Amino acid sequence: MTNRVFMLPLWIRLWHWSNALAIIVLAVTGVSLHFSNPELPLVEFSLAARIHNVAGVCLAGLYVVFVVGNIVTGNWWQYVPKPPGIIGRCLTQMQYYGSGIFKGEKEPFPPTPEVNFNALQAVTYWSIMYLVLPVVIATGLIFLYPQFAPDRLFGLDGLLPIAMLHYLGAAVIVLFAVSHIYLGTMGPKVSSLFKMMITGWYEH
Amino acid sequence: MPTEPHQPLICVKGIAIMCIEMFYLKRETSIIRQSEFRGNHVFANFKNKLCSALALLVMLTATAFADDPPPTPEDLTKIKTANAECLSCHSEAGLKKLPKEGLDVKKLRNYLVDLDTYTGSDHGQMACSKCHGDGYDKHPHAAKAKEGLSECQDCHARKAMRIERQFDKSVHAENLSDSFTCATCHDAHVMTLASKLRDPHKIVAQDNKICLDCHDSDLAFAKIAPEKKKRPPIDEIHSWLPNTRLHWQAVRCIECHTPTEDKLSLSHEIQNKDKAEKKCATCHSANTSLNARLYRHLAKEEQNKYGFLNSVILSNSYVVGATRNPSIDWIVIGLFVATVLGVIGHGLVRIITTRMRRSKNHD
Repeated sequence: MTNRVFMLPLWIRLWHWSNALAIIVLAVTGVSLHFSNPELPLVEFSLAARIHNVAGVCLAGLYVVFVVGNIVTGNWWQYVPKPPGIIGRCLTQMQYYGSGIFKGEKEPFPPTPEVNFNALQAVTYWSIMYLVLPVVIATGLIFLYPQFAPDRLFGLDGLLPIAMLHYLGAAVIVLFAVSHIYLGTMGPKVSSLFKMMITGWYEH
Repeated sequence: MPTEPHQPLICVKGIAIMCIEMFYLKRETSIIRQSEFRGNHVFANFKNKLCSALALLVMLTATAFADDPPPTPEDLTKIKTANAECLSCHSEAGLKKLPKEGLDVKKLRNYLVDLDTYTGSDHGQMACSKCHGDGYDKHPHAAKAKEGLSECQDCHARKAMRIERQFDKSVHAENLSDSFTCATCHDAHVMTLASKLRDPHKIVAQDNKICLDCHDSDLAFAKIAPEKKKRPPIDEIHSWLPNTRLHWQAVRCIECHTPTEDKLSLSHEIQNKDKAEKKCATCHSANTSLNARLYRHLAKEEQNKYGFLNSVILSNSYVVGATRNPSIDWIVIGLFVATVLGVIGHGLVRIITTRMRRSKNHD
């Protein structure tokens, strides 16, 4: 008999999937723009630029939803890495991913309605959502209005640092997304966490 | 008025120009001949080579005469004094203190020259009378003197011939063939060659002003456009181009509105929207055409600064897709591949160990 526990309210699930869609669209068009090659276009440049702009503004809007929603519901607390013993808990989690899981061990910190994330998740999600993503969104908005970028810097165009932060931040998010999707298979069953992300119920 | 210091040279120059014209005609006919008599190509080749050698000889001599030596400091003082006489009426300052009464100030206002701009321009070391010929020798000159104005090709014969062939195919020739001259776009008192300006921002400002002066002003457009031709709203027809006005501060209209074939300089075949470049990736890619266009004069200075491709452009503009750093790109691609392989590997080990455990449990 499986136990069910309700974990994720509708707004978080809606936000999560719209955010995911926006990031996938932005990643594909972003790659098309950065590695633009007339002989080998992934998405044609002007189309990619238009889609990237629209999706980027959507992502910025979704970020506002995320921040406001978190403040209103108190959900922000979930993301805060809680210090006493955090390094130890992170190491335990890594050990589980690195060897325990192959031996069929139980997950050391399974999610509960009070504590959704294990320590490693909290640290990663917090860094992505409150450090990297804001940088990517802010630099993206400057890219939309390049007149706000510094004029010149170290003898080069002032848009260069903005562009580099945008590109590197986005690369970190893409790397995160790949591992994030894979770690989604680490529930009691391969599909459990994906199901939870859709229905809100955690089955274990 | 200064005496014309190189008067005798003008005849030589005329002969030289004729020789050059003959060379070009000869070259064109020889191209036709070549295709006509392919079977007899050895003979044709020899004849062509002889023609080219002779023409080259003539041209070299001609060029030596055609380019005037730079003026000496004494010449310059003379030119300056002579030009000051012209500017005593034909400048903002002159207008306020006209040396003669009864001049038509309103009309004169259309023929003003800014001394600083003129001095900085390509023609800035020349006497006004060099182009504004005979009728202007006397000061104040007769109103009819305008008829004696020299044409650009009087000095720029070779260039003019090349440009004319390009211009004939342009949208300007199509719509305005007779009324359109070099001076319609190029104000000889203002223009500076891009190779001299060097700074892309200055080149862009100078060149786009020429286009926008007409194409962004109903009044100026109506002055030379054919009747009934309405000026297309410039922002509207370019609305597909993101950050339109910012693009126009960074690149020239002719970057897209001229064909790419001409290697010597940018073509004067200005094309309308049907033929103009619309593919962003032409500029926005590692092999950006900006190197052969706006940055052609700086292309040799490319130093791959900080390891960036096309870093010579980067000193003025960040061009998505063109100004990028291959080392950083490879690190990012490497990390991405490593992450994907990492999760695939982890997944495989999970599948294998789970199966092994299951079969063990069955035992």
